[in-house]
Amino acid sequence: MHIERAVITAAGKGQGGLPLQTLVDTDGETRSALEIVLREAADAGIQQVALVVRPSDEAAYREASGGCADMLHFVHQSEPLGYGHALFQARDFTGDAPFLHLVSDHLYVTGTEKGCAKQLVEVAAANDCAVSAVQATRETNLSLYGTVGGMKVPGRDGWYEVECVREKPTPTQAEQELVVPGLRAGHYLCFFGLHVLTPGVMACLEESLEAAEHPKTISLSTALHTLAGREKYLACEIIGERQNIGIPYGLFYAQLARALHGVDRDTVLADMVTLLASSGGDR
Amino acid sequence: MSETGLLNLITSDEEAVRNRDLAVWVDAKGYEEVLAGCAELDAFRRNESNLYRRVRALFLLHALYRYHLPRFPELPEEGKIPFETVDHLLKRRFEESIDACLAAVEQTGLTDPVASALAVVYQRLAFQSLADQVRKSVRSVRGNQWMFRLGHPLDQTLRVRPELINPDGLGPFPILRERTPVRMDLTHSGWSDIFFLGMDFPEGARVINVSVDLGVRGRDQAPRAPVEVNLRVLDEPVLRLASVDLGVQADITSLSEVYDFAKDYLGLLKAAVISAGLIPPGMEGSGQKLEDLLAQMVGSGRGLEVVSHVNGIPKGSRLAVSTNLLASLIAACMRATGQTESLTGPLTPSERRVVASRAILGEWLGGSGGGWQDSGGVWPGIKLIEGAEAHEGDPEFGISRGRLLPEHRILDRKDVPEESRKRLMESLILVHGGMASNVGPILEMVTEKYLLRSGQEWNARLHAMDLVDEVLEALREGDIRRLGDITTRNFRGPLQEIIPWATNHYTEQLIAAMEARFGNHFWGFWMLGGMSGGGMGFMVDPTIREEAMDALQEIMLERKTSLQHALPFAMDPVVYDFAINEQGTVAELHTGGEALMPVPYYGQMLPHWVRTDPRDLPSARRAELEVLAEVSRQNSAFAELAPSLFHQLLPTDTGSSDSLTPLKDLLEDIGFDPLQQEDVRAKLQAGQLGLSQNRLPATTVIEDVQPGDVTTSKALPQEAEAIGWDALRKGEVGVITLAAGTGSRWTQGAGVVKGLHPFCKLGGRHRSFLEVHLAKSRKIGLEAGTPLPHVFTTSYLTDGPIRTALSEAENFLYEGPVHLSKGSAVGVRMIPMLRDLAFFWEEMPQQLLDEQAQKMKESLHAALKHWAMEAGEGTDYTDNLAMQCLHPVGHWFEVPNLLRNGVLADLLDERPQLRWFMLHNIDTTGADVNPACLGHHIQSGHHLTYEVISRQIQDSGGGLGRVNGRVQLVEGLALPREDLDVEMRFYNSNTTWIDLDALLTLFELKRTDLRDMEAVSAAIRRVGARLPTYITLKDVKKRWGHGQEDVFPVSQYEKLWTDMTALPDVNCGFLHVDRLRGQQLKDPAQLDGWVRDGSAAYVESLCRFT
Repeated sequence: MHIERAVITAAGKGQGGLPLQTLVDTDGETRSALEIVLREAADAGIQQVALVVRPSDEAAYREASGGCADMLHFVHQSEPLGYGHALFQARDFTGDAPFLHLVSDHLYVTGTEKGCAKQLVEVAAANDCAVSAVQATRETNLSLYGTVGGMKVPGRDGWYEVECVREKPTPTQAEQELVVPGLRAGHYLCFFGLHVLTPGVMACLEESLEAAEHPKTISLSTALHTLAGREKYLACEIIGERQNIGIPYGLFYAQLARALHGVDRDTVLADMVTLLASSGGDR
Repeated sequence: MSETGLLNLITSDEEAVRNRDLAVWVDAKGYEEVLAGCAELDAFRRNESNLYRRVRALFLLHALYRYHLPRFPELPEEGKIPFETVDHLLKRRFEESIDACLAAVEQTGLTDPVASALAVVYQRLAFQSLADQVRKSVRSVRGNQWMFRLGHPLDQTLRVRPELINPDGLGPFPILRERTPVRMDLTHSGWSDIFFLGMDFPEGARVINVSVDLGVRGRDQAPRAPVEVNLRVLDEPVLRLASVDLGVQADITSLSEVYDFAKDYLGLLKAAVISAGLIPPGMEGSGQKLEDLLAQMVGSGRGLEVVSHVNGIPKGSRLAVSTNLLASLIAACMRATGQTESLTGPLTPSERRVVASRAILGEWLGGSGGGWQDSGGVWPGIKLIEGAEAHEGDPEFGISRGRLLPEHRILDRKDVPEESRKRLMESLILVHGGMASNVGPILEMVTEKYLLRSGQEWNARLHAMDLVDEVLEALREGDIRRLGDITTRNFRGPLQEIIPWATNHYTEQLIAAMEARFGNHFWGFWMLGGMSGGGMGFMVDPTIREEAMDALQEIMLERKTSLQHALPFAMDPVVYDFAINEQGTVAELHTGGEALMPVPYYGQMLPHWVRTDPRDLPSARRAELEVLAEVSRQNSAFAELAPSLFHQLLPTDTGSSDSLTPLKDLLEDIGFDPLQQEDVRAKLQAGQLGLSQNRLPATTVIEDVQPGDVTTSKALPQEAEAIGWDALRKGEVGVITLAAGTGSRWTQGAGVVKGLHPFCKLGGRHRSFLEVHLAKSRKIGLEAGTPLPHVFTTSYLTDGPIRTALSEAENFLYEGPVHLSKGSAVGVRMIPMLRDLAFFWEEMPQQLLDEQAQKMKESLHAALKHWAMEAGEGTDYTDNLAMQCLHPVGHWFEVPNLLRNGVLADLLDERPQLRWFMLHNIDTTGADVNPACLGHHIQSGHHLTYEVISRQIQDSGGGLGRVNGRVQLVEGLALPREDLDVEMRFYNSNTTWIDLDALLTLFELKRTDLRDMEAVSAAIRRVGARLPTYITLKDVKKRWGHGQEDVFPVSQYEKLWTDMTALPDVNCGFLHVDRLRGQQLKDPAQLDGWVRDGSAAYVESLCRFT
């Protein structure tokens, strides 16, 4: 499997401005969140990226893409019909090829020399199938993520054969359908915001759209659950961290993570110690 | 390898060997071999990891020590139970308790008392092991585990669905209304829905369960799903729980209150919000704030309200109303927090299973427990529910053969065609017979018998399993007549073969009356749930159903009226209208002008709201009131609120003076002595009387008796028997049966007359204690050729009913004279002193309960202390039926009463040669005028001869000992230390042989003085003043609502007959008699063992019934 294309969704409600936020990247350069995501994709060997946006946002995104503008193809989602629908808009772009899918409000810091997206793309290439990046997550955060259930792939640490996918399950549902042997009690494999998907997923999305009642909002998780029943589909624990910049303090933590993994680590740490020492005196 | 072959009953690969009756093994063995078998079993169960093998070993050990070893003559009758055994047992340290017993056996060999202790402890450990496993399974069911891990509000991931939150802040919050049917079972295959059975024997666990709508005939227009739960968001940070049926509500603001189940009547609602995950069990004791948790789920400043309503369906209906209410509450809570796919409509199959498993969790949290079929109302229509084998991945796998939760298969129209359903509804009459019953002991008996594989019971179970297929066939064919025949055969056959107590005298009379009235048109009887007497079914020819419903209502009421003093009834019987519910539990969302609670809710809440300053009303409530005002103008049901509101705002004076009138009248009738009552009250309130003051001084030396202090009845000379027969022939002997007490333990304070209770089938039918005692006197009298005079002492409570019963039964055709000696001494029960409650619950040895049940008990104790404080310590207890507020003042008075009321004088006029009496308790069924015992008493020259028995572990509360060197009986109340109880080897049976003239001498009376009432009264006062007055706590039941019952501890005072042995001028003797003769029946749960150990057969052998 050779993966050259990627789809990034950025049309979600309330998501409009997030990728345009700027951060100081690990190399000390200031970049927009979008550019950081695009560089993550490029590092994984991606050459062309479809960015799904609201039509009115195209200009701003183009500007925020920095040095990666050449890779970009803009795809419009005219109506806010959900995540699955947004991804489905890129079906002409992806065609018959597998593709990397990223969400624009997640940033990654790798724990190895390879970037997070690159780790995932390599697993997909080796297995010739769809793979979602996952992270073991405490049940108290289930309401934020799509979650997979399945079995470990024998002999492969952190690889799982996916049997079931649920969007933001309740702990009750998770316990009944998504328990993965080998994980700590109360921990589940939640999406990391990175997937390598096959064209089959577009067919599943199309079916979901047709079956959906009004309004036709569909989730990617439903389609991925169908995909798991049709073709080989793996989940892979990525060595690295994800930061969701769409939640309260998300951008702050994303910046902190990049600073602590970057060239300015010592300076930032020293400043933090000073800040900590001088704060809280009145409390 | 089993040396004795006993282990094969547990470990054999052959099913036939595993299912072999223990009695067969014992029959082929000698005493020493059985002892070796016990040792082998004990060693086995200590090392066995498989739960069910371990538990079977424990039950086999229980049966060997309880039923088999005592039959061997080699087992010494006398012995002491180590105090450590009792102490550990009370604290639920069962292993330690067993070890203490076995250490004693090692030293002195096994004795009957120690065998009794081992039997009890092994049985308790077995039940504890099973309960632990259910608890573990309930917690480990997937979908429930997370709730035990969640300990902080910020970890709560459940969120109330947006549809329930008022988007614009105007108008009332929407209401989610869940309606759930109840369930009835066509057969439960011998109580196979008990968790333990399903988990060990899944293939035998089969139930046909039908969801039904109900209405009370003559009250409701049409049947409907009786359980209704309403849930909505509040704009106040509280959890408001309300039960419309019980008329209670509470605004809960702290987490600890949510876990306090017995504080009020809202325990079920609390258990539901906990087991639905809203206030997860893991939060208990976390120290967090309820407000924060609610904010996380519903939003800051908001709360939740949950209101339950069961449409006045009475308690004890055997239709699992409370479990289905719990399930309904849980379903509504789960829907509201997004734990179900759909907010409204029916549930998916997997959601139903989650609801069922959480209902089990909720029942466990609330310290109760039913069967696994009980939440059947969640499913629609008719279901076959079967045990399921545990497979890899199930939490039960490797521990038990079956899963905790069974499989539900909804029977479709092929299995049960529409026409069959219609015919079933046209034939079946559902009723609540009105009896209050406790199914708990029955479920324990079933479990024990199942695990013992006793021959008859095991075959009956196999038979019951086959009947399921017959029921299914009859349903498929729509043959309801056959169905009636099958359910009747099930009731007459397997159910009663396993548990004879499934039926009772009342039920038998109803069936007989229906058979007599409708003959061929009466198609059959159907026992609902665990036992009969409450919810029951009668199947009739559809052409006479209406007539039969009317007739049944009349028959039940008439029988209830005639038996209400003999059996515990909680309410008047009712006939239901019913229909099969084909939907199961269903929810609707009501918004805007329809977002209103049930009408009675407003009757309950409006008075509070109207009294609130309008400016303090939250906006949603103001909006609700506006909607209510609007609806009241159009809807007649709501329009009726206004008059009741006025009534509640300005309640008419039904105050205490009115409610006391019947009590005052009654006291005047009885000839109550207010001075004595005030004297006791003053001493009680001043601390001169009380539980701790009952005790003898700590310096009292109490020791066991010495050789020679007690005569053994087995060693009585032949001569004694001859003397006895001689006295009998001469007509010198009479019997006094003490029947004045209410038998508090027998019905937990229900206030029925124990003597009239038809407690057991003897000689082919149910017999009351009264009839049994007369039958014994008849036999002896006939054999002696002179009928015995038989006196029953009675009291204000028992006199009327006993008089009527004897008159209706023509003294059970007894040949001799029967007299009733009515007692006039009576006291008014008092609200207990807090120090007595504390002493009783905290200082006296108390049985520690299983974890959750103990929590319930402690919570209840706190509530009862609060009640005592509010009601006024030491004041008269008047908040109940007049009869329930009075108490007899102890059995000492029952003998002097014979003198006072002239019965003795009459007797002596009739039969001047009377010299000897045998006095005994109403429940000492084995006591008869045994000629040898009588002869011994005559020979001994004792004024009084008390019969004692060897103490077994259940015989707590005093005994025979040397008190400062004098041999006398000591009441348990008077013992200065708990360990002294087991020090005394002999326990008082209270059967006493009386030398009449010696007794009169003690009272300083002669036979000729007995008509001189003044002299008699003075004599009684004189002797009475020499005896101690005890304060005791007794349970009294208060009934209210629809079959609801509360039990209150009340104080009363007593003088006891036993203390006659302490008077130095009374020459007392003590005769050690066989247990069969001397044991007392205090608790209906004893009955099964009483039948199985041969006691019933022994009593039958003493009787001659007409």
